[in-house]
Amino acid sequence: MPGKTVVLKLNQQQIELLDKTVSRAGTPDREALIRRALREYSAKHFSSPDPRKKAAPGAKA
Amino acid sequence: MSRELISSVMLEPGTGKAIELLAGQVMRIEQIEGNQCVDFNCFNLRDYKEFMHCGRTRTLHGINPTEGSFMWSAPPRERAMAYILRDTVGANDVMFPRCSANLYESVYGLAVHTNCHDIQSEAQREYGLTPDDVHDSFNLFMSTGVREDGGIYVRRQDSKPGDHIEILALFDLLAVPNICGADIMKTSNFSIKPVKVMIYQASSEDLAKVPPLPAPVASQRTPANFKIRNIKATRELTRDPDYKPAFTNTPILYQEYPIELSEEEVAMLQAARLPVYGDDDGAALRDIVFSWWEDNYMGKPPDK
Repeated sequence: MPGKTVVLKLNQQQIELLDKTVSRAGTPDREALIRRALREYSAKHFSSPDPRKKAAPGAKA
Repeated sequence: MSRELISSVMLEPGTGKAIELLAGQVMRIEQIEGNQCVDFNCFNLRDYKEFMHCGRTRTLHGINPTEGSFMWSAPPRERAMAYILRDTVGANDVMFPRCSANLYESVYGLAVHTNCHDIQSEAQREYGLTPDDVHDSFNLFMSTGVREDGGIYVRRQDSKPGDHIEILALFDLLAVPNICGADIMKTSNFSIKPVKVMIYQASSEDLAKVPPLPAPVASQRTPANFKIRNIKATRELTRDPDYKPAFTNTPILYQEYPIELSEEEVAMLQAARLPVYGDDDGAALRDIVFSWWEDNYMGKPPDK
């Protein structure tokens, strides 16, 4: 599976929250925060060999 | 624990009572025979436009709040109005609306019947409030649940003589308990009975039980912050020709934010993405980012 460019569409309020979280999370910038979110969320909720067999996280209820 | 009794009143079937419950006073609502639902409403005694809001309360304490829960006012005030100090039953409801005359007429064919809306209206009329000022009740001693299909239901209840709920006012309130008028439903086990209401000065032990509340934030606005500060005094709605919209943070503008994902990160995205987003990688990643935020920061005070 090759790498790829993904385009997030974010509004000014969403960007404000991410930028506030950059310092809170101790990440260097917005892009690093997004990568960390992807890595940690994936590890927390979808770490089994077949992620579809894991229960969906509560945040999606 | 010593409390000073200030007053007491017996609420007879079909009645309610508007009672000034000042900051630091406790209202104890006690079963006489048992199995009686009591609707409870409250207003800020100094500004009736601030009132207890079941939606806000439900969001913070669930559909069956009990001892240890607060009663909250509606946006934009969103203040803790009262605190439930004691609840010997633990069967209250903030899902169901107050019963109304329309319910009894349309479902049962009873054009005139005791109902919580009209009882509330009549009780609060003592303070100049109208039937339009009644709001959804905190339903005390009302056992309810949610079915698997999402429907909601009322169970028969099992409160006993002497069972009680104690509500501490956190600022000056007009508290309006009323005997639920539903004598032909399960709510009060198909009967309607009196309930005793007592007002006490809270003891120091009572006050010590109240957990600390978050410090007020700027978005908790009062009429001093409103663009229109005066209460409207006419019934007809007419357009303000000088009105200029001033919605928060508008226009909402989206910008594209490209991010180069590695092969490993693409695999993570594919594993975690939800079907609802189809082949929209950006929407799937955005969901993951904000879901991660909820996992880590929801409920924690933001940094100043």
